[in-house]
Amino acid sequence: MTPPALELNQVSKYYGDFCAVQDLSLSVPHGCIYGFLGPNGAGKTTTLRMILDILRPTSGSIQVLGSPSALQVRHRVGYLPEEKGLYKKMKAWAVIAYFATLKGLSKTAARHRAHELLERYGLKDFANARTEALSKGMGQKVQVLASIAHDPELVILDEPFSGLDPVNQEVLEEIVRDLRARGRTVLFSTHVMQHAERLCDRLIIIAQGRRLFDGSVGEARRTIPHRVRIETSDDPSRLESLPSVASLHSDGADRWQIQLREGSDPHEILRACFELPIRLRSFDAAEPSLHEVFVQLVGPGAREAAFR
Amino acid sequence: MRYVWLVAWREFCENARTKGFWMGIFLFPIIIVLSGTLPVLLARQGVSTRHYVLMDLDGGFAPSIRAEMNRQRTAELDQELIAFARTAPYSEPFSYHIRKNPAGLSELDLAAWKLARGDQYLEVPGFVPPKARWLEVSLPPGITATNDVPLLETELKPWLRGELILPPSTATPEPKLFAAVIIPRSYSLTGTNALRYWGENQADTELRDTLQRFLSESLRRREYQALGVDPAVIARVESHRAPVVDLNPRKATGTEKVNIADRLRQWAPSFFVYLLWISIFVVSQMLLNSVIEEKSNRIIEVLLSSVTPGELMLGKLAGVALTGGVMLGTWISTLVVIIAVQVGLVASRIASGALPASSPMATLPTDILALFQSSSLLPGFLAYFILGYILYATLFLTIGSLCNTLKDAQNLMGPVMLILMVPLFLLPFIPRDPNGPIATFLSWIPLYTPFVMMNRITASPPLFDVIGTGLLLVVFDLAVLWGCGRIFRTAILRTGQPPRIIELLRWIQGRGN
Repeated sequence: MTPPALELNQVSKYYGDFCAVQDLSLSVPHGCIYGFLGPNGAGKTTTLRMILDILRPTSGSIQVLGSPSALQVRHRVGYLPEEKGLYKKMKAWAVIAYFATLKGLSKTAARHRAHELLERYGLKDFANARTEALSKGMGQKVQVLASIAHDPELVILDEPFSGLDPVNQEVLEEIVRDLRARGRTVLFSTHVMQHAERLCDRLIIIAQGRRLFDGSVGEARRTIPHRVRIETSDDPSRLESLPSVASLHSDGADRWQIQLREGSDPHEILRACFELPIRLRSFDAAEPSLHEVFVQLVGPGAREAAFR
Repeated sequence: MRYVWLVAWREFCENARTKGFWMGIFLFPIIIVLSGTLPVLLARQGVSTRHYVLMDLDGGFAPSIRAEMNRQRTAELDQELIAFARTAPYSEPFSYHIRKNPAGLSELDLAAWKLARGDQYLEVPGFVPPKARWLEVSLPPGITATNDVPLLETELKPWLRGELILPPSTATPEPKLFAAVIIPRSYSLTGTNALRYWGENQADTELRDTLQRFLSESLRRREYQALGVDPAVIARVESHRAPVVDLNPRKATGTEKVNIADRLRQWAPSFFVYLLWISIFVVSQMLLNSVIEEKSNRIIEVLLSSVTPGELMLGKLAGVALTGGVMLGTWISTLVVIIAVQVGLVASRIASGALPASSPMATLPTDILALFQSSSLLPGFLAYFILGYILYATLFLTIGSLCNTLKDAQNLMGPVMLILMVPLFLLPFIPRDPNGPIATFLSWIPLYTPFVMMNRITASPPLFDVIGTGLLLVVFDLAVLWGCGRIFRTAILRTGQPPRIIELLRWIQGRGN
């Protein structure tokens, strides 16, 4: 069995008495897109910095591509930090090429690669522009390209979508999917759930330095009870007596939300509505979104942390 | 090592692309040349004539003062005319009075020219007589000469303050009264009445000093005369100077006489200390800016995912050292080339007989070149530049790593700048007593070793000092690199306020992150 691309084992990080990350374990298989979710201050950036060996964990161990330190395999790892910045006076292609040479490419190869990437992702005309002349979004794209210029096996992106417009968010999603298509592993942190939902094969949710969830998107959805939304002018309270219904709440005028018991099928509710009858104007049995899962999992703690 | 080099090379290219770098390379020699020639040029062209009034209530001084001022002015004009004749001799009938001397130099036969031209001897095509520095004017309109000093002074004050402007003079359309000189009645060396020199500008004391010197001489002469000594004898005797010859026991027998080259040897290290200081200062600033840019842009995180903090630090130090090295190399090689060209020029002038081989000017460029080649100046400079650079650049780099903005950095830089200023203040004193207690003491303070030892280098300091301070400096450099490396590693990722001293100490002990 091939070892995972990335493995964290009981990793903790303390700053004095403050615990930033606590006993975090995580395993990212090769060739997948792994989401790293959590509210502000959850410890995402600290964890990513520890993975990259920029920070040392207080305890626990980290294996990156089979090596105890990311620096030993730096040629095979790409990193985009949360706060984006570039050398202002350097040209776009030169920045990409510089970071690629730091990752082991020769100067010529790095230059070719920089131009190739800029062309492929629509920045060809700005290759010779100084980065200070680029818009924020373009600068960020240049930085993303710089992080993947050496074609790394493992790419770590910290909040890659923040600050990008919807069109460029799609371009970035395309970049991430391209990476997976070529068998690369991508670990990215975000708090925009839509991206995680669309992209991730697996994800981890952490809050206050602790893991709350680790699994596939489908598994994440199943962590909260299934619910059905209906719209009717009849009285739906009779549905409450059904065995599959856990509870019934009003969700505004003529709108109701029905929480189902674990393992129950939304079809039973629909059938009951026809039988009773309750005349429906709409029936929505969609799975909970990742957004709901996230709020449900981290909600109270995150609110507290945000105002701390 | 490859990563250190990559970081260094980017750093160098980035600096080499800045205007500051090129301005540093070209502007510094230009400033040096200008600072030598500009005052002379300005003094010749731009000087404004200063007007003064002279009231001699005693009555016995004014004619001789005026004669003396005239004599000085004539001497100045004669000198200018002679200098003019050397460079632009071809205008009739002026050129008839220019003779070639045996060395082939053009010399104006001033006496013959004056005799031929009389009062118009200054009217030579192309010759612009320099403006007079001092011009005596009569009392301003409305003031009558009186013996009442307080009244006279009260009337003169508004003119001296520039509230009233004198009538146009030959030099200026709107002259201001610069000074008023009042010689009291029965003025003497022993008397209680002092000469009253009025003037708003008390910094330019040239006129005041000239008058004091001249009057002292006149009064002394009067006393001699009163004692019955012949003024001519006095003048002859006073013109004598006690002969002195400077000898240096370190020079070879027969050539112990101290010449210009020896004096240069003594002062050349100061030039290099100045160069050392400038380069360390300029280069450290570059380093500080570059770290702060990387830190405030958070580029540092990407860098640290590719290189270790140690590699980053060494790379930056090396890159900026390269920048400074190129700058210094350009300056020094320009200087050497200029001197080498001068050696060639002088040799050809001697060969053509234009310059006597015995003139001090004939051997000066060769002497300077020999000074550069043979002495310990250049190797010493190189060694102290590297060691001094490591010391200060590391400090500045660490300061940069502690700060997020240049403003934060400026607060922290204050103390380092103060430390760095000390060698500059000491610059004139060390060569006077290069092996004295102060120089020796300061040599043993590693922060000052590069500057002070550089300054002592041609004065044959004791070997113990050279090796001892050198070793101490190397050890100190290594300690600074080690300690600052630890601080750098922790500080570089930190945001927010710069840390307190106690935190720094904790980081040095390795309890950072």
